[in-house]
Amino acid sequence: MMAGLGLAPEQTQRIERDGDVVAARQIGRHLAAEIGFSRPEQALIATAISELARNIVSYAERGTIAFATVERDLRQGIRIVAEDRGPGIPDLHAAMTDGFSTGNSLGLGLPGTQRIMDEFDIRSIPGEGVTVTVVKWKSR
Amino acid sequence: MDDIIASSAGGHGRPGGHLADQLRWFDITETDRRQAEALAVTADELAEPIIEDFYAHLLSFEDARRHFRGEEQIARVKQGQLKYFRELVSASLDEDYVRNRRRIGQIHERAGVTPTLYVGAYAYYLHRLGHRVMAKMQDDPAHALPLLLSLIKIAHFDMSQALETYVEAREATIEQREREMSELPTPVLKLRDGLLLIPVVGTLDSYRARSLTVKLLEGIRDHRARAVVLDITGVAAVDSAVANHLIQTMTAARLMGASSVLTGLSAEVAQALVKIGVTGEALRTAGDLQHGIEMAERMLDG
Repeated sequence: MMAGLGLAPEQTQRIERDGDVVAARQIGRHLAAEIGFSRPEQALIATAISELARNIVSYAERGTIAFATVERDLRQGIRIVAEDRGPGIPDLHAAMTDGFSTGNSLGLGLPGTQRIMDEFDIRSIPGEGVTVTVVKWKSR
Repeated sequence: MDDIIASSAGGHGRPGGHLADQLRWFDITETDRRQAEALAVTADELAEPIIEDFYAHLLSFEDARRHFRGEEQIARVKQGQLKYFRELVSASLDEDYVRNRRRIGQIHERAGVTPTLYVGAYAYYLHRLGHRVMAKMQDDPAHALPLLLSLIKIAHFDMSQALETYVEAREATIEQREREMSELPTPVLKLRDGLLLIPVVGTLDSYRARSLTVKLLEGIRDHRARAVVLDITGVAAVDSAVANHLIQTMTAARLMGASSVLTGLSAEVAQALVKIGVTGEALRTAGDLQHGIEMAERMLDG
């Protein structure tokens, strides 16, 4: 509804609680299927979304995940941008290390997401939040 | 504009949202407040006939009529309506005002007044009010129009406050349902002596994961179980956090002397988990429930 007013990009899911994580997964999986990703790839994308969304719920409380279809050199892909205005990540390098976690988790979320996506970009300003942009290209 | 988009992403107009930002979003300026205040002196005179018309309109709907018991109550509601209108034009638009509007919104939401009725009532008022103000200021229409436009802005702000309470009330309901769902007892089924089956359904958040662990451990103790099958076919989203919960639960079971088997993980999800870095070592899994039970039975017999 908001999209029609130009207030928010289409295909954006707010992330505030566990239910939103599931909703974001479904949107992402659906879009990935539309683009023509294989079922295992869809599951990978859904899992990546899950990790990103859960990070928002766990560390920032509130944020958004935006989905878009992207194209480069006649190749199609899906771009997912997870954004929050939480406390940010003080040490990005540590956060990208397997097994590093400030919460009580496996510490695989961010490095794991990087492994399963083709492109991964994380920006964080402490005190202002985190933006993670990931892209998965369809295999040819 | 960027600010507004960003704050809308975080849900603008929430109780935490700053009133000043909200007013800025509605583009309500000092000029608008002064314009509205110009109406204040004639507010009652303007509003009374509109309120009469409005209730005649409202009560012409049988559904609405059923909400009211007797003339006395209608008279009281009309008085309330007049006060509401006076406040609108004398709008101080401060925190107190907002709190009051939200409270009124809550009352209406609880009473089953739908957003359609709410917005419709506003439209009815503004329309009639427009005509009356124009008639009253027919010598000076150039001033009447900006005055009305200001009032329309404030009325929309007013409406937004009420509607926010609607959304909040619904969200609270949904959250409570989710809570109830997550508190659904996780059944612990005894398949045979020493063998338990626990089907897990829904979203495995940290709260549920904790209660699952407790249930499992209690089940193992109460039934003196030595093998447990955890079936997660019904879990909506499996990611590293869920895997972590499961690993911890199964590790706890092992400390109680029971082996566990995880079933219901789809091939795609399994692949994704491995790519993310979840190692299978901590999780003993079986392709489907039947194999899981067979595996658990072998553990018992072996």
